[in-house]
Amino acid sequence: MKARKLWRMADLALIVVVIAAAVTTAVLLWFPTGGDAVAVIAVGGEEVGRVRLSGVTAGYDLPLHTDPQVILRVEPGRVRFQKAGCPDQICVNTGWLTSPGQTAVCLPARASVRIEGAGGVDAVVR
Amino acid sequence: MERKSRAKQVALLGMLGAVAIVLSWLEGMLGPVPGLPPGAKLGLSNVATMLAASTMGPGSALAIALLKGLFAGLTRGLTAGLMSLSGGLLSTGVVCLLLWWRRCPLGYVGIGIAGAVCHNMGQLLVSFLLTNAAVFAYLPFLLLFALPAGAVTGLTLHILLPAFSRLRGEI
Repeated sequence: MKARKLWRMADLALIVVVIAAAVTTAVLLWFPTGGDAVAVIAVGGEEVGRVRLSGVTAGYDLPLHTDPQVILRVEPGRVRFQKAGCPDQICVNTGWLTSPGQTAVCLPARASVRIEGAGGVDAVVR
Repeated sequence: MERKSRAKQVALLGMLGAVAIVLSWLEGMLGPVPGLPPGAKLGLSNVATMLAASTMGPGSALAIALLKGLFAGLTRGLTAGLMSLSGGLLSTGVVCLLLWWRRCPLGYVGIGIAGAVCHNMGQLLVSFLLTNAAVFAYLPFLLLFALPAGAVTGLTLHILLPAFSRLRGEI
């Protein structure tokens, strides 16, 4: 195999393509859809509950039936992973979610919380 | 002669495999990097798989990616193992193709970035299969972060390759 250069013009083209893809997906995924922030809670690909965050008056803990166990903390206008029994704590370190488009995921527990912008539904927890 | 070169292959492969494992362990020790999306890593151990890919061929590189995935699975759990395997195998496969494609227009920086993007996409695909489409919220972060991470990997490879080729000749 012959020696290859460190940097070539095609590298710049690749960088531009990746940045363009990042900006496009950011606009598509994070653009605020308006309305109230609704936390969509899912475990293993199945939606298990929705909470309209502005309708929350007092904070409470919401344990999910997962292994390892995770506990969500729901407060007026915001939600977060409070505790997770997994080693890496990525979901907990994500912190508070407040606005549509924000997401926190705990892979070991296969649990996710995504904020969507929608009106209508108050609070449905199955 | 045949035996000697085979022993050499095995020794080099073991060495690069050990380097890959140590690098990924070190990276895990560093913990979350402030300002980066949660779970984002530099992917330092990709340097080892890319070294193997460019000097020993695709089989050796994929073997190292496999070893790294098994190690992650044993030490950090099934999820981490699956993430490491999916990212590692996809990125190593693509990097091998690019390295052995003679007319590939990319330099080492470009190949490093392509590898980093594929690594992240492989992991995102597995996280999607484990959970749901919510994980795609990370996509823009992962794409952007692959740029500096991949550039560093490509630069490191460019610096290490001459030394590694010499070492390989001397053993």
